[in-house]
Amino acid sequence: MATTPSPQDKVAWEPRDEMTVLNKDARRLDGPVKVTGRAVYPHDVRLPNMVYARLLVHPAPRSKLTRVDVEPARQVPGVVYAEVLKSGGEEVLYQGDDAVLAVVAAETPEAAEDGVRAVVVELEELWPPMVTPEQALADDSPKITENGNVVVAGTRGDQAEVEATLGRCDAVVEASYSLPVQHHACLETHGCVVDFDGEKATTYPSTQMVTGSTGMFARELGISRSDVRVLTPYMGGGFGAKFGIGKEGAVASEVAKALMRPVHLMLTRPQEFLMAGNRSGSKQVMKGGATKDGVFQALYVEADKHGGMGRGSLPTPPYIYDVASNASTIRQVHTATDANRAMRAPGHPQASFAMESMVDELSYAIGMDPVEFRKKNLSSEVYHRQLDRVAKEIGWAEHEHRTEPGKVDGNVRVGIGFGVSTWGSGGRPGCKCEVRIEADGSIRSSVGTQDLGTGSRTYVASIVAEEFGLELSQVEARIGDSDLPPSVGSGGSVTTGSLAPAVKDAAHNARVALCDKVAPVLECDPDELTWQGGKVYPTGEPDRALTWKEACATVGSDPLVAMGEFQPHLHQGRVHGAQAAKISVDTLTGEIKVLKMVTIQDQGIPLIRSALRSQINGGMVQALSYGLLEQRVHDADLGYMLTANLEDYKIAGVQEIPEMVAIIDDDDTRQTVCGMAEATCIPGHAAIANALYNACGVRIRDLPLSADRVVTELAKRI
Amino acid sequence: MVLPTSVEEASRLLPTAEGGASAKLLAGGQDLLTELKEHLVEPDTLVNLKSVPGLDTIEWNEAGELTIGALVTLTDLEEEAGVVEKLPILSEAAASIASAQIRSVGTVGGNLNQRPRCWYYRAEHAPCLKKGGSECYAFEGRNKYNAILGGGPSYIVHPSDLAPALVALGAKVTLKSHSTSRQLLLEDFYTLPSDGDILTETRLKPDEVLTHVHIPKQRAGMRSTYLKFKERASYDFALSSVALCLWLDQGQITRTRIVLGGVAPKPWRTVKGEQAILGKRVDARTIEMAREACLDGAVTLSENGFKIPLTKGLLTRAFQKLA
Ligand SMILES: Cc1cc2nc3c(=O)[nH]c(=O)nc-3n(C[C@H](O)[C@H](O)[C@H](O)COP(=O)(O)OP(=O)(O)OC[C@H]3O[C@@H](n4cnc5c(N)ncnc54)[C@H](O)[C@@H]3O)c2cc1C
Repeated sequence: MATTPSPQDKVAWEPRDEMTVLNKDARRLDGPVKVTGRAVYPHDVRLPNMVYARLLVHPAPRSKLTRVDVEPARQVPGVVYAEVLKSGGEEVLYQGDDAVLAVVAAETPEAAEDGVRAVVVELEELWPPMVTPEQALADDSPKITENGNVVVAGTRGDQAEVEATLGRCDAVVEASYSLPVQHHACLETHGCVVDFDGEKATTYPSTQMVTGSTGMFARELGISRSDVRVLTPYMGGGFGAKFGIGKEGAVASEVAKALMRPVHLMLTRPQEFLMAGNRSGSKQVMKGGATKDGVFQALYVEADKHGGMGRGSLPTPPYIYDVASNASTIRQVHTATDANRAMRAPGHPQASFAMESMVDELSYAIGMDPVEFRKKNLSSEVYHRQLDRVAKEIGWAEHEHRTEPGKVDGNVRVGIGFGVSTWGSGGRPGCKCEVRIEADGSIRSSVGTQDLGTGSRTYVASIVAEEFGLELSQVEARIGDSDLPPSVGSGGSVTTGSLAPAVKDAAHNARVALCDKVAPVLECDPDELTWQGGKVYPTGEPDRALTWKEACATVGSDPLVAMGEFQPHLHQGRVHGAQAAKISVDTLTGEIKVLKMVTIQDQGIPLIRSALRSQINGGMVQALSYGLLEQRVHDADLGYMLTANLEDYKIAGVQEIPEMVAIIDDDDTRQTVCGMAEATCIPGHAAIANALYNACGVRIRDLPLSADRVVTELAKRI
Repeated sequence: MVLPTSVEEASRLLPTAEGGASAKLLAGGQDLLTELKEHLVEPDTLVNLKSVPGLDTIEWNEAGELTIGALVTLTDLEEEAGVVEKLPILSEAAASIASAQIRSVGTVGGNLNQRPRCWYYRAEHAPCLKKGGSECYAFEGRNKYNAILGGGPSYIVHPSDLAPALVALGAKVTLKSHSTSRQLLLEDFYTLPSDGDILTETRLKPDEVLTHVHIPKQRAGMRSTYLKFKERASYDFALSSVALCLWLDQGQITRTRIVLGGVAPKPWRTVKGEQAILGKRVDARTIEMAREACLDGAVTLSENGFKIPLTKGLLTRAFQKLA
């Protein structure tokens, strides 16, 4: 419903309790086409005369090529194109897109695959392969980047001063925490279809940046940006890995230029693991100290980021907590493996695991309730109420042992752990939205944004429905097309902060324009119209209402078109969250079952409550999977990644999923919008590790908490 | 792909010990297809056993013996009423395998003849011992999932969950070619890498088809269970498993069968462990004796030492469950 503010006022969000479409659960607009398989993802695009391209990626990281011969591939029936991308005499510098040696295109995917296998490669693999941090740090190891294998990324604070403070602490914990490289493991691998006729191109990339992809294809195809159309109405997950078009997009463009036929090039699942990015791993050596009164006094950190050829990411310690005396050095330790990319809250889950473990260790060391210890060292009141809420929901007050852990006694023990999260998630200029109303009552909201599975498509419609007092189903949302008004890419949880204000602005402007048309018919001031329940009437006189259709009839033969753009005052960054996990552990076998996870998350106005809960649940699942299972494994001698598939790179499935409670923090009364999805995957694995300690006193400082590690530690104590 | 209509015909299509046709038997395809996709085998012909009638039944005879056709699916085995009632070990083993989707097409014959999952065996580019190469990369490489018992020179573990349960039940298998038919104890069907031919895990001859599994009538009073530890509960192979049959008379163990899975290149029956506890009551001391005796001779590699405490833990849980 919309009455106030009057159309001429500055656009503002309605009070939450007056909302009829927003701040409610909503069925996703694209739910039916997705669950019935009618949604066409980039992988599914089939165009007349299309060829299928496949890449030849050498699995080992470093080698000297002597020969790459695609002639045998050209002889394979069905193959129409085979080219060398890296030839004899060249070197492969790292595992990933640098090891793409050739491309083959064929009439069928099978023929393309056979073609790739027919390519003759002769090379000398260089040893050591440089796939582990140990190899990178060894004295005599070869330099794999121009700047060497180790680069200091930042230092801060005064170590001597921290040491002095530590000397005055009642408890000091020295510990080394590590996290493996994590993969995005999107259901849809990277890739695209490129349809190029020599002048114009239509492309179908699996991307989290529809508008911005035009320029990348334009560059590769040698045409202007306006001659490229990007169509991605649906895509199968990004998590930060799908901003650029990548080597695969560049090669697909190359093949399209050569053949003048549509080219379908999607990475295979192993290639997805080898060259589509990852979350950097890390090792964080910490020394922390607290005094008996519960103050976290000092922290010294030496951290390495393991981002392969990339820089890795890790926020500066002490991360969320207030630690007055702190110092740190962060280094990049490079390996000859695929560069890390952004991945849902880059760096934060890594920082969270080390910090939340340290916080936990200190609280038990001084015998203080870990929830109270956290509150004592978090200045924001928001965290205090959030921690109290998750503690209540998980049953902390009734839990037996809160200041010391349970025992390893051969039985199944239960434990509870906690963690908090933060994220900036602002909005920024760049989105424009068009709302178009036709005389027949149809109304649509269009913007070239993307829906990564978050539900953005749905609120592109629901914000407009709210504006006019319509049902969600009455408004059509169009997204995923670069010919529509531009949108920012979906990274850093900025989509909502950037997009929703633009949609709101367009809706507002459309209402102002429609009020001007309707007012003369209703013989009232345009400022005094109420849009409610599919009707419009002079405020206070519902019996004089026009139906939506009647109102739209005033539009005339040309549609009413209103544009909107980013309005900074409609958004506000910075979110907070707290999580709790309850687990059981069989202290004989090490079997961990996560029994329950609880998350509370703030974000200002909850645009679609069900979509928010879905993001929260997804964040919990991703953290659980990271904490318990996910592990990429290399053979340090051969250099091969041994887990480049979804059987060996283990991801949580249905049986792993606990009872999940997702709480939207309604005490956050900010009348602004904000993205929040990234924050939800930050502390879950730390909470689980802390729960393991609480259950049985076993502190595992290396993720994942896999059975081999847990049972080995348990066996030492029984 | 050819569709034979009899075991004899299928056998004729297969290679002989001297070589010949490059053909592979195909049942549910849940293992073979992955091997084909990874180019670990590249046969010219697939001999689809599914077209052979009569191999998909589960039959109890009057003597209480059970015969399971090679094409019986894991789901059918798991759910068969007599199996559920009399042989929980077998139904539990079947239920523990993979996912519901895979169980609904995977067959008993295919499960018993599936190939190893070792990372290096499955990595096409690593020419490991199992693929005719000269090195077991797991021995000095990444070996978290590899063998602690019976290993060397290859350290694979046998992946089948049915096998330990069936060995514990004293099952036999019928192996038929176009000209021969023989029965073997399943226990003797499996081989260790040190027994000779390292390219296979069984005594199946190239032109033989495993047609049936036979389970003898069990002595009265048997209690049985199959406990499997999966790293990922949703679907996973065993990090370690325990197949345990126990007969008690007034609290004393009169007979037992203990077979371990996931820890050796074949289902690992531990006669020593069985003997150590005969005549004893199931108490903490007895379990401790069993645990020690069962893992006697275990040799760990750099990353699989955890399998010892894990297997011991499972043994305790299995005894606790049955006592
Ligand atoms: C993701 C995944 C998870 C899995 N998890 C488990 C698990 O937890 N536990 C477990 O035990 N297994 C597991 N498996 C293996 C699966 O259970 C077996 O692959 C399946 O049972 C094999 O049966 P099939 O009929 O599909 O065999 P196929 O794939 O058709 O055949 C397998 C092999 O056996 C040969 N073969 C088939 N039938 C016969 C016969 N009658 N005589 C002689 N040789 C024959 C074939 O030539 C082939 O080499 C898993 C598999 C996958 C893909």
